[in-house]
Amino acid sequence: MDKVRTILAYTVLIGWLLAVVLPMVWVLVNSLRSSKEFVQNPFGMPWLVTGVPADGLLELSEIEAARARASAGEDAGLALERLDQLARDFAKLDSENNGALEAGVVYGDPAETLSGEEVAAVERAAGRSLAISAAISNYRKAWVESNFSRFFFNSLWVTGWSLFGTLALASMAAYVLARFEFRGNRWLFLFFISGMMIPAQLLLIPVFFEFSWLSDVGTRFLEPFGLRFQLYDSHFGLILLYIALSLPFTILVLSGFFKSLPGALREAAIMDGCGEYRTFWHVMLPLAKPGLITAAIFNFLGIWNEYIFALVFVNTPEKKTLPLGLASVSIQAQYKTDFGLMFAGLVIVVVPTLLVYVLLQRQLTQGITTGAIKG
Amino acid sequence: MSLRKKEERRFILVFLAPAFLLFTGLVFLPAIRALLYSLQKWDGLGTPEWVGLRNFARLLRDDDIFLVALGHNLILFAIAGGCTIALALFFASILSQKIRGASIFRVAFFFPNVIALVAVALLWILLYSTTNFGVINAMLAQVQGAAAAAGLPFPEIDLPFPFLQSRYLISSIIPMIVWSATGFYMVLFLAAIGGIPQSYYEAARLEGASHFQQFIHITLPLLREILVVAAVFMIITLMKFFDPIWVMENEVPNRDSHVLATLLYQKVFTEYDMGYASAVAVLLFLIVLAASAFSLTWSRKERIEY
Repeated sequence: MDKVRTILAYTVLIGWLLAVVLPMVWVLVNSLRSSKEFVQNPFGMPWLVTGVPADGLLELSEIEAARARASAGEDAGLALERLDQLARDFAKLDSENNGALEAGVVYGDPAETLSGEEVAAVERAAGRSLAISAAISNYRKAWVESNFSRFFFNSLWVTGWSLFGTLALASMAAYVLARFEFRGNRWLFLFFISGMMIPAQLLLIPVFFEFSWLSDVGTRFLEPFGLRFQLYDSHFGLILLYIALSLPFTILVLSGFFKSLPGALREAAIMDGCGEYRTFWHVMLPLAKPGLITAAIFNFLGIWNEYIFALVFVNTPEKKTLPLGLASVSIQAQYKTDFGLMFAGLVIVVVPTLLVYVLLQRQLTQGITTGAIKG
Repeated sequence: MSLRKKEERRFILVFLAPAFLLFTGLVFLPAIRALLYSLQKWDGLGTPEWVGLRNFARLLRDDDIFLVALGHNLILFAIAGGCTIALALFFASILSQKIRGASIFRVAFFFPNVIALVAVALLWILLYSTTNFGVINAMLAQVQGAAAAAGLPFPEIDLPFPFLQSRYLISSIIPMIVWSATGFYMVLFLAAIGGIPQSYYEAARLEGASHFQQFIHITLPLLREILVVAAVFMIITLMKFFDPIWVMENEVPNRDSHVLATLLYQKVFTEYDMGYASAVAVLLFLIVLAASAFSLTWSRKERIEY
């Protein structure tokens, strides 16, 4: 009976494990394959593994150079007529794609296009591995041509400053709220926490108009100094907004941590002649480190993946964050059936969160755990 | 007032001010503003005009798109939320029994929760595709073929099934939500189960209670509070639900696929109807508030101390 139960339990668990992990593996594998390979066989392995090319990624210039060498009687790795045919294939394909080929992709059935020896010959002639270029070209297209590098650094910039600001402001406020007696303390704490109840959608419209109003006022003051003050469509505005939105949750988490620290600590530090500020900085903050890490992970995931505020408050394509960029590039990539690009984009967006999760999953789980037990 | 007290007061002020100003300016006051907007007729350019509760009357009476969208949110909450919580509870009860490899399952199951919802939506667009690489349609075809060969009954649907069409989108999104959210709730429940004293289970085992009976009579009653927390959390997340619908509908949802957040967005940025949109936001806020208040009072009343 118990054996049956165990087998059943494992069956269900492994089933869900596959359902969770396989789609991600599928994305990763196909980000290393050309779109054509993917369409022909969505469940194939990348050419890197199988060694069977789907399409030789040759630049037209490379074919032309090889042809020039072959017609001059040198060894170009391939016969002249074969090179002619490749050039024709390439030109035909280029015209089909309105001359928008990023790399010369020689289409045809993988088995027909180039034989194994020919691949080796072409690789010799081109001086690079076709397999590598097939895998890399997706990432090159995403990172360079589709501007993912830009989106990535925008996300890094916005998330970094938002985290820094949130942790700084929230730890200061939470420390005072948790460790000091003053009138209205409890109300102020509730005032901050009530922010967790407010759905983001409620703020979209008023903040939108508030930003344009503040920008006008700010610019009027700063114009004499030749400065422009912009909150809408600027990273600065988005960062301020993310900080404000992250404060309630972060203050809740951190005040719990500050409350749990022994009260005698502050007295002792003050007696030793530390000022309030130094006590906070040298004694309290280091002790609250676990809380800071927990808050940082949750906020990182939230802000890195945030979509709707970025959608409303960022307009210029160069200022887009990763989720925005991924959404717009993917929609275009689907029209062009450029799945390789889409998969590469997905990987670029998911990998940082995956890294953070794998490295810090213990703290993350512990954060949820303490929250669940206390909350 | 001693010097020390004075210094302390200044310190309190300095430390609270930045957070207070930013939160008041960008969250609290705008929320109040939104309440005012919902009582006005405004296109975002001219002068706002007071209309009292007419916006609310409009969205409840004039056209039923608000109610349709709200219905979609509630469907997501009832079905996707219900399945997620049930599945999470099931996994948590298995994994809390110290089986081998539990931590691997725990880490892996949580993982979809850290992926951006936009990316999850794009992944499912590919999985749901009607062309030859649509994994889900391919699997359904396999099952259908196998069922036909074995003479087993299988619903007569034409494959590939157009999962991503507007009229099926809300239903299609349900498995996606379950896929991405289950891990989070599972970790939540695992924590709560970990807090139940082992002696309870030992006593039950001595009495000869089965695993299932232990779950029904010990685990479930003691998890009541955390289940309520989970349900509130689910309402908050699913009332705000936006990204996947927006991406899957290519930024133009319609009657069949609108949820509250997409409806609000469209009213603001394509129809410039600030009053209507704010009224939607205010009702959304009230729903979340009511759900939380109700559940909090209810769970207080039913609290079990151990």
